[in-house]
Amino acid sequence: METLSYFLPQVWFGILALFLFLYVMLDGFDLGVGILSLTASTEERRGILMTSLSNIWDANETWLVLMGGGLFGAFPLAYGTILNALYIPILLMVFGLIFRAVAFEFREQAKRKLFWNFAFGAGSFLAALGQGFALGGVLKGIQVDQAGHFIGTTWDWLSWQTVLVALTLIQGYVLIGSTYLIWKTTGELQDTHYKTAKIAAVTTLIGAILITIGTPIFYEYARERLFHRPLVYLFAVIPLLGVLLISLLIRSLFRKEEKAPFIWTILLFLLTFVGLAMVVFPYIIPTQITIYEAAADPSALVFMIIFIGALIPVMLFYNIYQYIVFRGKITGGHYGE
Amino acid sequence: MEFLSNTVALSRMQFALTAIFHMLWPVLTTGMAIYLAIVEGIWLKTRNPDYYYHARFWSKLYILNFGIGVATGIPMEFQFGTNWAPLSEAIGNFFGSIIGFEASWAFMLEAAFLGIMVFGWERVHPIIHFISTILVAVGANLSTFWILAANSWLQTPAGGEMVNGKFIVHDYFQGIFNPFMVVSVSHMFLGTLETSLFVIGGISAWYIYNNRHSAFFAKAFKIALAAAIAVAPLQIYVGHLSGEQVYHYQPSKLAAMEAQWHTTPAGQPADWSLIALPNEQAEQNDWEITIPNALGYILEFKPKLSEPVLGLKEWQPADRPHLVALIYYSFRIMIAIGFFLAGLMLVSTIQWLRGKLSPENISQQRLLMLGWIFAAPLGYIAVESGWIVRCVGRQPWTVYGLIRTADAASNLPASNVLTTLTGFATVYSLLFVAVLYFGSRIIRRGPRLDLPIPGLKDQPAVETTPGEFIPDERPVEAQQ
Repeated sequence: METLSYFLPQVWFGILALFLFLYVMLDGFDLGVGILSLTASTEERRGILMTSLSNIWDANETWLVLMGGGLFGAFPLAYGTILNALYIPILLMVFGLIFRAVAFEFREQAKRKLFWNFAFGAGSFLAALGQGFALGGVLKGIQVDQAGHFIGTTWDWLSWQTVLVALTLIQGYVLIGSTYLIWKTTGELQDTHYKTAKIAAVTTLIGAILITIGTPIFYEYARERLFHRPLVYLFAVIPLLGVLLISLLIRSLFRKEEKAPFIWTILLFLLTFVGLAMVVFPYIIPTQITIYEAAADPSALVFMIIFIGALIPVMLFYNIYQYIVFRGKITGGHYGE
Repeated sequence: MEFLSNTVALSRMQFALTAIFHMLWPVLTTGMAIYLAIVEGIWLKTRNPDYYYHARFWSKLYILNFGIGVATGIPMEFQFGTNWAPLSEAIGNFFGSIIGFEASWAFMLEAAFLGIMVFGWERVHPIIHFISTILVAVGANLSTFWILAANSWLQTPAGGEMVNGKFIVHDYFQGIFNPFMVVSVSHMFLGTLETSLFVIGGISAWYIYNNRHSAFFAKAFKIALAAAIAVAPLQIYVGHLSGEQVYHYQPSKLAAMEAQWHTTPAGQPADWSLIALPNEQAEQNDWEITIPNALGYILEFKPKLSEPVLGLKEWQPADRPHLVALIYYSFRIMIAIGFFLAGLMLVSTIQWLRGKLSPENISQQRLLMLGWIFAAPLGYIAVESGWIVRCVGRQPWTVYGLIRTADAASNLPASNVLTTLTGFATVYSLLFVAVLYFGSRIIRRGPRLDLPIPGLKDQPAVETTPGEFIPDERPVEAQQ
């Protein structure tokens, strides 16, 4: 029983990290494409950008719904406390996602598309901004009382570090969105996104360097973890791998490879993710609440592993199938009608 | 305006607003998904291109509604954490798991296969496409199952107990199959079907009324009517079962639904209030028209009650629902609509049997078509009224008998909630207008009857499964 109460929350930490990673990767490029659409020069281009997402954005967004449901069931205390503390970033994201979602259909139907173009781009930006502040807010830490309930104030999540995290996340989304478009488009549109990908690679790198340096300096809990042997060797490897991946990415962009940039970007996201997870673990609210304290009953965790965990391969399978069905380049502004 | 500084009241208003608005979209898409699977099945079986064009036409309305459904569903999930953190912590063990199941079992399935259903006509084999459409319908209706299971558990919590302010689950299946679950899921399932059928029938009637594609839309109209023959009466019966359950499990809600202030003891006849002016201060109805003995018949099919009907005065004001008039009238509106739709179905069926709905004659049924056009929005109103009865009537409890709404809300500054509430009200008003505008535009444009038909490589004899999805009651005429 004692082992179970350690093992089960760890399994759920892993499952939720997987959901969150899939969300950040998949809806990340959706949101990135959305932000890039603000710079699209013609209506036709914008049409192609939106078409490249129209069949997948809802399934991609569902990983967020799944992550939310999983967090709610597996770590109820964290679900309440984190969302309560991050009221404004979460609602920013929610409103952003609303605008992004409705823009797809409304733009398709509208004669004057300007408003819905803006709703799509600005909605994507707002959602990314909210997510960035939420991530920054969690890393920064949340003020809680003995029972783990939020006792801070409305704007606790806002600081220059969280602004940096938010901006870097937006850059990351623009990067993965650009490399996705390189993969899915041709011609001038593809050329444009080789350029945006290069710019985004550099700005993401700058943000990542600042965060990597800043985290151990400003957050004591991170310092303790990072410089504690034997983990220090592992943490030393991550920035090195990061530099390697970024160089591979930039090289592939200069060589005008079509699929490689997307794949290097995904690996870069994965690396960042592993790094963050290792800094945070075993906390779910850094320095305050561990996953063991926030976890639901072992019976709930087992029940959810059976009913959600078992379905993960199935969900992955049909999501991949749907990418296979819609493989290939987008040519016109339409997939079907 | 005291409530403007009351976080609990504002959070409740925000949840009510977002829930009422969210409900409008899935209520259509879950029912319509089944309809889309049926028309696609008929197309594969008969190869009549009209059914292919039906599938294409209605799926445009489907995806318009689906997009807003997704967009407005996300605030529902996240509000449990942002505005109801103590509740999330207390019931996460059970309720959070169920929300997770909804995402993994239902919503992901619908969202992933929707792409193929809407955009994949040219990319996959028609059979794969048909399977995708069916999976969209399965996913959508599994959502109904899980969400209603979760909500039923709030109404009649089961499968565990409260320990130190947290609900500890002893038996998950008992929690899922809580007393309300089966009837509530059925009631909502039929509600989504009935709403969709009358929307599809109503829009078809509009075309027929205006002599546009009359023969084409007569097909959709008849499918909707054929299904309504089964659904409309069944819904009244299941609604009755649901009322009986409230009578047994949530007497304070029943008292508010019927505006009964005084207890009627067992063995007595009970009058049914038809119209009343409930007065909460005076704890009485200022004015009412009653039908003698009718409540006994309604609840138990007999003149005298075998169990007492408790009156609102049995509870302290803090322990019983308020907004009695809202609950009382919402309930009556729902019932009136249920009977009106069943009546409309009955009249239409008689006309059908008399041969008045044949493609040549159907345009002359102008009054009947007007009736269906009028009926198109009624399903929505009935569903929303039902949810108001269900959730306002559950007060002051969030989890009936276990957790009070006042103890469930996050401790947020009221100004934060007021800001987001205003934001939701503004954005949702805009979306509502936009949907009506774009939806009516899709309808005014009408179906595209010039789309290329995706080729079938196999011969018709191959498909044996599609026939299974055609309901038995479908008359021979609809198969043409």
